[in-house]
Amino acid sequence: MGESGSSGRANVALHPDDRHEEHAHSAIPYVVVWIALLAFTALTYLTGKQHLGAWALFIALAIACLKSALVALIFMHLKDSSGMTRLVFGTSLVFVGILLFFTVADVATRFRPATPAGAPFGTERSRPEGLLEHEMPE
Amino acid sequence: MSPEAASLPEGILAHHFASLERQNEAMRLGMWLFLATEILLFAGLFTGYSVYRFEFPLAFAECSRHLSLTAGTVNTIVLITSSFTVALSIHFARTDQRRAAVVCLALTILLALGFLGIKAIEYTAHFREHALPGKYYAFEEVKIPGAAMFYTLYFMMTGLHGLHVVAGMSVLTWLLWRTNQGRYSSRYYTGLELGGLYWHLVDLVWIFLYPLLYLI
Repeated sequence: MGESGSSGRANVALHPDDRHEEHAHSAIPYVVVWIALLAFTALTYLTGKQHLGAWALFIALAIACLKSALVALIFMHLKDSSGMTRLVFGTSLVFVGILLFFTVADVATRFRPATPAGAPFGTERSRPEGLLEHEMPE
Repeated sequence: MSPEAASLPEGILAHHFASLERQNEAMRLGMWLFLATEILLFAGLFTGYSVYRFEFPLAFAECSRHLSLTAGTVNTIVLITSSFTVALSIHFARTDQRRAAVVCLALTILLALGFLGIKAIEYTAHFREHALPGKYYAFEEVKIPGAAMFYTLYFMMTGLHGLHVVAGMSVLTWLLWRTNQGRYSSRYYTGLELGGLYWHLVDLVWIFLYPLLYLI
């Protein structure tokens, strides 16, 4: 089979939609996402340096989630993926959510009578010496 | 042999798949399943981090301020750019621009090396200051409960991430070799695409590590 013969067959073999996609495929979305990611990084840096107290963590995580969404949807092609791959990714996120939420909720809702002295993650251990309870940061 | 199989370079379409399309879909699904396990692996560490940060807010904030914010920020930019170049390399491969694809992959590997270099400089500073995990912790500047825990989590998280960077670099080097041989083109590029997915995951993890470790 000659070189011209094999390439001729390749065109026949390609799914028409696929071939259209190859020709239409553009790098512009990648450039846009890259610039957006750099901008969000700058935003994370600037807001992070302000030490905005209770809001700092929320803002940082919100920006990180936005950046991740851009990477997953555009760079990782989840936008154009089949439902099956999206389901796998979505399911992993649900389980991460369950793991994080219930673990942190447990630690966050413990109170003094429920945590005898010396118990891990009680209300006693974490307080730096010399600081009273009302002086503890959130 | 189907016409499709005959037109492809040898060894791409496995005999148990009816068509290349199905094989590609199976490959992508398999990769995403693997990435899901990776996400859950890191989620365990992020959960540990959350619990200890909740328990020792002061120590975490104080230790975070002793990390090099510049190094962390530069590394974020380096990794984001490497994610961009790997996405570009797949774009070039699927539009039959082999040379550009190879250049982009080489750039990605160089950026990964740069990331590891900066991380090595940071680690050297921690070792010099004895800002080390667990019982090896003897950092003079932060002496409050929970500081050792911060550095334990810091080393575990950045260490595991660093291992992933090394693994990703190895995969990308192999893919660079294969791309240079002309194995990926508009007809078939799924192998390269999967390597790219792994590299993007490495970037995803760092996107969360950066604010959580460097910007408390």
